Amino acid sequence: MSIQYKSIKNLTSMLQNKEISHKELINETFTLIESKMDLNAFITLNKDAAIEKATLLDSKKNGSSLAGIPIAQKDLFCTKDLRTTCGSNMLSSFIPPYSATVISNLENAGCISVGKTNMDEFAMGSSNETSFYGNVENPWGKNLVPGGSSGGSASAVSSGIVPAATGTDTGGSIRQPASLCGITGLKPTYGRISRWGMIAFASSLDQAGPMARTAEDCAILLNEMCSHDNKDTTSLNEHIPDFTKDIDQPIKGMKIGIVKEFDLSKLDSEVVKVFEESKKHYESLGAEFIEISLPNISLSVPTYYVVAPAECSSNLSRFDGVKFGKRCDDPKNLEDLYIRTRSEGFGDEVKRRILIGSYVLSAGFYDAYYKKAQQVRRLIKNDFDEAFLKVDVLMSPTTRGPAFKAGSKGSDPIQMYLEDLFTIPANLAGLPALSIPNGFVDNKPIGLQLIGNFLEESKLLQFAHNFQKTTDFHLKTPSGENI
Amino acid sequence: MDKKTVTTIAYLSRIALDEGNEDKITTDLENIIKFVDQLDNANVDGIEPLTNPLEKKAQTREDKVTAENRKDTFLDRAPKSNEDYFLVPRVVE
Repeated sequence: MSIQYKSIKNLTSMLQNKEISHKELINETFTLIESKMDLNAFITLNKDAAIEKATLLDSKKNGSSLAGIPIAQKDLFCTKDLRTTCGSNMLSSFIPPYSATVISNLENAGCISVGKTNMDEFAMGSSNETSFYGNVENPWGKNLVPGGSSGGSASAVSSGIVPAATGTDTGGSIRQPASLCGITGLKPTYGRISRWGMIAFASSLDQAGPMARTAEDCAILLNEMCSHDNKDTTSLNEHIPDFTKDIDQPIKGMKIGIVKEFDLSKLDSEVVKVFEESKKHYESLGAEFIEISLPNISLSVPTYYVVAPAECSSNLSRFDGVKFGKRCDDPKNLEDLYIRTRSEGFGDEVKRRILIGSYVLSAGFYDAYYKKAQQVRRLIKNDFDEAFLKVDVLMSPTTRGPAFKAGSKGSDPIQMYLEDLFTIPANLAGLPALSIPNGFVDNKPIGLQLIGNFLEESKLLQFAHNFQKTTDFHLKTPSGENI
Repeated sequence: MDKKTVTTIAYLSRIALDEGNEDKITTDLENIIKFVDQLDNANVDGIEPLTNPLEKKAQTREDKVTAENRKDTFLDRAPKSNEDYFLVPRVVE
């Protein structure tokens, strides 16, 4: 029986009923990976260790919740003794001496990490085109981008190689690729999942999350990914619920906000049609719609492009060629060592963001840019606080359109930045948000975004699961058959 | 944003600009700065900056050693080291 496109729930039951052994499952996963190398979804494979863990699981009884489930890990998470590049030449030979907390959490729950997925360099990009390791293909079409920055993870799940992958989301890097690849992706509340061992891009925005075929699988993964971690000072010390517990509860009478300022008239009419149909569907499930005004939300993208580069320029100053990572050959002196290492190790987009960050943080410009952006960030957060007094969730398209061709955004970086128009606000306010497949435009999948209030992942998953119980967009596969 | 500013921030960032590509970088940065200048439209009088969505104080903990000393593990991963130190080009003659 093929394991391709199987959900975590399916695979767990196959393993428990002994329809397949742990080792067979992992061997078949690698057969799938090897048959789909043209996607370029993986940077590094973890074959020997994965087979060893599977063999061990076969030899002894194991009650772990995710025992034997193959998972692809975004190459931004440190994995002990397994190369971690963050999509960059700077870390092309970096072997971390420890694993990120979230990786340990998943592996302790029984997950088998099969490899490290391709991504935009240091998570800076929305199409996976900034990776030092080459573009990733979207399984839905030749030369289509998978989105980014978690493009390899999205492609690996979408093509049915693995049921689950980890991603990270600083401005939309889980939700946007989930939308473009037709899968489900969740960015939890800022602080829900420990950032320890995640290679930092913008520390006040970065958050890890699950990517899978269904909301139910995302809930199962989230249960294991969350933990309070003393090693991350922004890790939340809040109750962690069972995220699967309430997903079956009906949403009748619950309120969905539609953001007035998200101007859909500029989008392709087919994209708007798909969105309107989803609204009707939620109406048929008993949800009520309310128009909500978030007056400052149109300033989200400019705010983000001050805050994120500022934090990036500070975080990435650690790459100096001294303690780990790449070092240039034959440095003349210390300054030459720093400058040449960084100039050779970073790609164009990363350099661009570091330069912007240095500019907005420099003396004389700090108040005009960085401080001002942080003030606007508060206005945006205040708008959300007020909105959630009236509604349970907010709803919008995840992206402005479906997947586009590689190279088609031209050389103007702002065109690419606008890809994250709908996703950035949740990062600025620290709110949980997810994307679920809700239709097709030109035979390419597209996603619906739901944003929830602080710590209300369960409610988001409930809305998403109710949708997926009554639609089949998430069951369509790039190879044509329905699961 | 002009070439001179770009050269200064590139130096502050310890990044060398590709020769021949300086005009393109200057234009890109100029456009990005123009784009973020939209922030001038917001009235932020009296608004406290939001540095982190949690707005919680950084957690403190007792200062005790919890990690084992793995000096060798870390030095092994450095591009250049001896048994005790990370090595860099000579700074003091």
